[in-house]
Amino acid sequence: MLGFRLSAQRPPAEHRRISDVVISRYEHVYEVDPRLMQEHVRQQSLPEWDFHRIIENRVEHLVWMQQHFADSVISGDDLIRELEQEGD
Amino acid sequence: MAVPTLDTAVVDELVAICGEENVLTGRSALFNRARVPAPFPLHRWEQFTPQAVVLPTSTEQVSAVVKLANRARVPVVPRAGATGLSDGAVPIRHGILVDVKRMDKILEIDVDDRTVTVQPGINMMKLSQRLQPLGFIYPDDPASYPCSLVGGRIGTSGFSLISGRFGHTRDLVISFEIVLPTGDVIRVGDGGGRKIRKSSSGYQLKHLFMGHQGTLGIVTEATLELVTRPEAEFSAFFSYPSYLDAWRATGEFARSGLATLAGVVLFDEQKVAYLRRDDEAWIPAPDWVKSITAVAMYGQKDEVRAGAKQIMRIAKANGSTYAGDEVSQGDWWSRHDRYATPLHGRTRSGQAVLMSWHCEDAAINHSQLPAVREKWHWIVDDLRRRFDTFDDWGMFSYTNGAFRPGGDYLTEIDVGIWEQRYDEEMWAAWVDAKREIARVAIEHGGSMSSCHGSCREGEVDLLPLELGGGFDVMKKVKRVLDPNNVMNPGKYLLDQAYEEEA
Amino acid sequence: MSAEDVRKGREQATNGDGDGNLPVGIDEWRDAAYNCFSSGHKFCREVCPVMQVTHDERHSPTAFHANVVAMEKGHLDIEDVAEDYVHCTMCGACELRCPNTLFTGDFYRFRQRTIGVVRAMRKLAVDRGIHQPNWKRWAERTDQWGNEPVLGWNIETSDAKVRDWAVGLDLPTGGETVIFADCEAAFKRPSIPRAVALLLQAGGIEFGLMSQQWCCGGPMFETGYHDIAHKMVEHNILDWRRNGTKRIICPDPHDYITIIEHYPELDENFDEFEVVLALDLIADLIRDGKVTLTNEIDSTVTYHDPCRLNKRLGKWQAPREILRAIPGLKFVDVDHVTQWSYCSGAGSNLFVEKPELTAKISRRRIDKVKELDGVDTLVSACPWSERPLTEQGEAQGLEVYDIFELVAEAAGFEV
Ligand SMILES: Cc1cc2nc3c(=O)[nH]c(=O)nc-3n(C[C@H](O)[C@H](O)[C@H](O)COP(=O)(O)OP(=O)(O)OC[C@H]3O[C@@H](n4cnc5c(N)ncnc54)[C@H](O)[C@@H]3O)c2cc1C
Repeated sequence: MLGFRLSAQRPPAEHRRISDVVISRYEHVYEVDPRLMQEHVRQQSLPEWDFHRIIENRVEHLVWMQQHFADSVISGDDLIRELEQEGD
Repeated sequence: MAVPTLDTAVVDELVAICGEENVLTGRSALFNRARVPAPFPLHRWEQFTPQAVVLPTSTEQVSAVVKLANRARVPVVPRAGATGLSDGAVPIRHGILVDVKRMDKILEIDVDDRTVTVQPGINMMKLSQRLQPLGFIYPDDPASYPCSLVGGRIGTSGFSLISGRFGHTRDLVISFEIVLPTGDVIRVGDGGGRKIRKSSSGYQLKHLFMGHQGTLGIVTEATLELVTRPEAEFSAFFSYPSYLDAWRATGEFARSGLATLAGVVLFDEQKVAYLRRDDEAWIPAPDWVKSITAVAMYGQKDEVRAGAKQIMRIAKANGSTYAGDEVSQGDWWSRHDRYATPLHGRTRSGQAVLMSWHCEDAAINHSQLPAVREKWHWIVDDLRRRFDTFDDWGMFSYTNGAFRPGGDYLTEIDVGIWEQRYDEEMWAAWVDAKREIARVAIEHGGSMSSCHGSCREGEVDLLPLELGGGFDVMKKVKRVLDPNNVMNPGKYLLDQAYEEEA
Repeated sequence: MSAEDVRKGREQATNGDGDGNLPVGIDEWRDAAYNCFSSGHKFCREVCPVMQVTHDERHSPTAFHANVVAMEKGHLDIEDVAEDYVHCTMCGACELRCPNTLFTGDFYRFRQRTIGVVRAMRKLAVDRGIHQPNWKRWAERTDQWGNEPVLGWNIETSDAKVRDWAVGLDLPTGGETVIFADCEAAFKRPSIPRAVALLLQAGGIEFGLMSQQWCCGGPMFETGYHDIAHKMVEHNILDWRRNGTKRIICPDPHDYITIIEHYPELDENFDEFEVVLALDLIADLIRDGKVTLTNEIDSTVTYHDPCRLNKRLGKWQAPREILRAIPGLKFVDVDHVTQWSYCSGAGSNLFVEKPELTAKISRRRIDKVKELDGVDTLVSACPWSERPLTEQGEAQGLEVYDIFELVAEAAGFEV
């Protein structure tokens, strides 16, 4: 859907337990176990568009931060492959 | 609660010097310039407010303000970004707060002699953004890179995360202009010469006027290194089954002798456990991962590539497990952002609470790290046992030596503190623990502070212990330069300098 | 999500831990404020458009939160701080750049909220009879005319004239889809809604006008006049229902945000509506080939990321895609993360109460454009930003266009 619809802003009820304190509702996206936020600080009802926006903005910001310091990044995975090929 | 007011004649004179728009005396102006992010006795906020704030725009104004303060015997406290973690910018004796944020200009970029001259209110990230199109960077890179300012970097003599390659603040600041406590203006470097990096003329005054926490004057202009922007970056995170494995590996990476090596970071077991609370990189890590190291390199592509390959060889030989590009890159890129996050806080029953961050920042030799670590955790655990308002957030150690990293480490234990619950008992327990943490550092041949300064309540009591006879010299210097004790009084036990005189 | 959820979301922070000293309406921001106070790193300072100009810690997002803590501790009253809270464009940079949002906001479903605090403080001030003179006058006129006095204090912007921009376009009243033209564009820059309407028509979208549109209410929420805002909301929703409207197209991101953030909590059945940004819709039409851009535009442009789009909604890709689709146009991009620290200075009616501050902020924005090689035109996608940017642009010999004006021209329309 192109626009905003209120009913689409609720987090999906289904989730996977990742650890004692962490759950996951989307692939590779982690969230605090809501039981930890009962007594002192309560969770906000963050609309789903906002939830996903934060994740996207985080990635964009990290890439920006890297570019601030250097033009390119050298991959460790590539180096490991290279060393294996060289029989090192 | 009443804030003691300043003599109106003094305020009038401040207005005459700085202009009406640059002098503030309203309550919100004062209460918002009381604290810094270090643990703060929230229940006694009003004891730390200034009586007037000035926002000068020139060296002349700063000089005139300091002269006035010296004459009227009113304390003066310099404040830059107010991100300092050692209370330096907290006006504990009230007085006039000199906020340098309106002095944020770049005065000169000299590509030939590779310097940039700035006012003290500029932020490093903003400065580097301006330098980027010219192919340069100013690589003083604390975790507070996006928010601390050059004046505060000099005032604290700060630590940079990539100092192995580029040096710390003291290595990147070539010379600066400073208004002395009497209002006189001097320029200091290694010797003379605004753009001279190494000199043997006279005393090395640059070092004296760095890291004094605003007790010896106010920096109004600084000439900095213009560093060629790196072509390439390499960052690698490695996992280990125990702290001691990671500790040994850290030493080996640091001993590599690679010129591009910018830093090695060691995460202890409590830090990894803590990251598993909410850090997307480490939540899914297998259970055997108990400790982590990180290596960062910068430079031209060819040298970084060759160096990085050598790091991978060392890693393989010492049993390090590479965490993969995604974690390695993402975690390094977020190095500024993952410290003072209040929701990291947990009560003993595991409930999330908003805690503020204490960052212990001792400098410890590599050989001493395991012993210091055990004692520090014991102190913080004990605190948590007694008060359900403290939380152990684990330890980091960062290579501390500029250009030849690895012999000693900025070692932090991060402590979460639920400040909303402060009362005198909790505050006193905190100050005691803080002092004990610092004592351990000194007993192991270290320094209480690698980067923030050691003038916080608690640890400051141990300054004479750490410095020995050096502390007596410090007092003499203070008395000579600041005869009336107006520059940031009450810091570093320097009131003693005047008691002895009397 | 229901209206109830939204209300709860806004009132997340009232809990048993407080000292009980905070006024109603501020108490619900206690945790948000303390979330900032206890981190205190101030990453927001260097992205805040106001702080970059005033350099005064009173105007920092950090202070906006610390004041709440100080109020709780009995150190400050609303009288001490009401004027400080004028210094904010509600651009959202501070909330976004805060590590408490960017790095853990999603994980905890608890992100930094500064705009909410500013809004609540401004409301408290008004409730306590502390008014900013021009905001008060602006609110009175809006209440009186139904739309904001964007043409000056004495030129009426009544609902009788709010459809004038559409003259000759042959738009029906009501229908399933309506266009919601904001006050600024409808009265002051009608070329924008005209451009949008022409493009939508070209793309085969059927839509009408509201029978009697009032201001969305956003600026009233933003400046503390919530009673007036509520009137606007109720009126507009009623107008939609009466005309069978199900879908609202907003050319202005301010309106879009007001509608998605405030309307749902005031209406139990808001889920029957879909709210669409014209930008998304038109980007779609171009992508699908339903609107074709054939007229060459011979200029070198850069794009101003409007704060509401970029920092508050995370929408920065569509406008870039659109600009790259215009034939002949040379587009010099400045990435959207760099632009987190840019702003026109217009937001949340700062230009009404502190025009000199808006001018300083927009001058800096134009200075940034002047640093780019060969750029002769600045393109924005928000009518409010275009007011100060055009003023400052004129002073520095730079043209300022709305993206829809440009797209309409490229599609062969005259607006
Ligand atoms: C999230 C976070 C991460 C941090 N990470 C690091 C880190 O990695 N490395 C590190 O070194 N620090 C770190 N710090 C601490 C802090 O950022 C540094 O100490 C920094 O140098 C302080 O700069 P500031 O501009 O905020 O100074 P302030 O806090 O305003 O002042 C610091 C001291 O300098 C004095 N001062 C300020 N301006 C002047 C001037 N013009 N002339 C003379 N004295 C002056 C003040 O009186 C005070 O004593 C961190 C802080 C935070 C909040």
